[in-house]
Amino acid sequence: MCGMCGLLGGGNHWSNTTAPASSTAGSGTGGSSNARRQRLLQASLANRILVPLRLRLDDFHGRSFVLSSPTGASELVGDFAQVWKAAERMLGRPLDPLTMFAEA
Amino acid sequence: MNLAYDIIPVTLVTGFLGSGKSTLLADVLTGEAARDTAVLVNEFGEVGLDHLLMGEVDAQTVLLENGCVCCSIRGELKDALAALFSKRARGDVPAFSRVVIETTGLATPAPIIATLLADPVIRSHYALNVTVTVVDAVNAELQHERYPEWLAQISATDRIVISKADLVGAQQVDALRTALAALNPLAEIVTRASSALRDLLFIPARFVPDAVQSMNKIGAGTLRLGEGGGTRLSHRAETRPQPHTQPQTLSNAITSTCLTIDTPIDWQVFTLWFTLLLNRHGDKILRVKGLLSLEGSDRPTVLHAVQHLVHPVLHLDAWPDEPQGSRASRLVFITEGIDAHAIENSYQRFCAALEQAA
Repeated sequence: MCGMCGLLGGGNHWSNTTAPASSTAGSGTGGSSNARRQRLLQASLANRILVPLRLRLDDFHGRSFVLSSPTGASELVGDFAQVWKAAERMLGRPLDPLTMFAEA
Repeated sequence: MNLAYDIIPVTLVTGFLGSGKSTLLADVLTGEAARDTAVLVNEFGEVGLDHLLMGEVDAQTVLLENGCVCCSIRGELKDALAALFSKRARGDVPAFSRVVIETTGLATPAPIIATLLADPVIRSHYALNVTVTVVDAVNAELQHERYPEWLAQISATDRIVISKADLVGAQQVDALRTALAALNPLAEIVTRASSALRDLLFIPARFVPDAVQSMNKIGAGTLRLGEGGGTRLSHRAETRPQPHTQPQTLSNAITSTCLTIDTPIDWQVFTLWFTLLLNRHGDKILRVKGLLSLEGSDRPTVLHAVQHLVHPVLHLDAWPDEPQGSRASRLVFITEGIDAHAIENSYQRFCAALEQAA
């Protein structure tokens, strides 16, 4: 739980695990702020894939994500396993990593 | 022992009908070993015959009644585990320190693992220690040919125990061992006679590097991502059972491969790619186990997945000692019908595409 805002962490899905901070890194990066930072980074990385597909992912209070489409549809999703499922639903086609970016 | 809040290790025993699961349990759980072990038996059929075998642990045996432990019955397994824990906390049953779940011969392990991982109550009190699968040396070939459950049990397991080895020739046991190693190079394979019975059930699953090593030994494929993203395919071999020991029908599609990535992995990118991969192909990715070297961290990360399920990610304190001193990430994939090369290409393309989009 974040001590400042009283929000719970992002659930227990494995993709919310944060990489342990390196022992050489500065002591300023505390556990929860690191988790929050990594979460925002993860969402912005996901947007590199989703934005070209005209979808957008935003963090929702460090607890879930909101996936929105250009038609105004938006869905609250818990973790990345759900994000891709919801994205496929909105797009109406599968997102297959084995064939994605193959033409590039 | 702290009775209230410790996490209890769970051993999952699977094996096809009649492979000798109950016999193994009955042999292990006698005397001292039975004292601090609770057993959950999942029975298929109307009469729970098996619980008669376990008279000595009767007080701690909860019989799961209707049929196989699979998605439909997960609630029951959950309730049984939760009830067992509260009984223990209240002192209604002796304070056991481990649990053994015996599944039906027709159960596939993934839903059971899902129950242990996903339920918040269960997750806080129990942790999967090891999955043990009993294989009947006499009927393995036939079961492999006919029943997909058999294959699901083999591919998801950590340890394979060959039973009834005394009923067939040594040659046949060796052939079976080779075939099993090809199907699941991550599992450790033992015959019942050769091992200390207690260790079979209670020693935790072996460490990843050992599994990778043994995989290299049997000559499974290795894919290597070179420095700077350049790829070279050192060699790739589909592991197939020996033609004379196993029919080629089902096993053709099962491939195991070791993906080696020399450069440190960006964890955020990796989780995006891996969730995407499991979302689309989780049912065909039977097993993933590996050690990752993450960017900005000097501790190795253990990743362990069975189909769609990923176990809690662990960070080890230090890298295991290795002669080569290499800290490359290694991931072993056991897949069904996915070209190993495709997985490796996919990861590489994904990383490149994210870089480009920056």
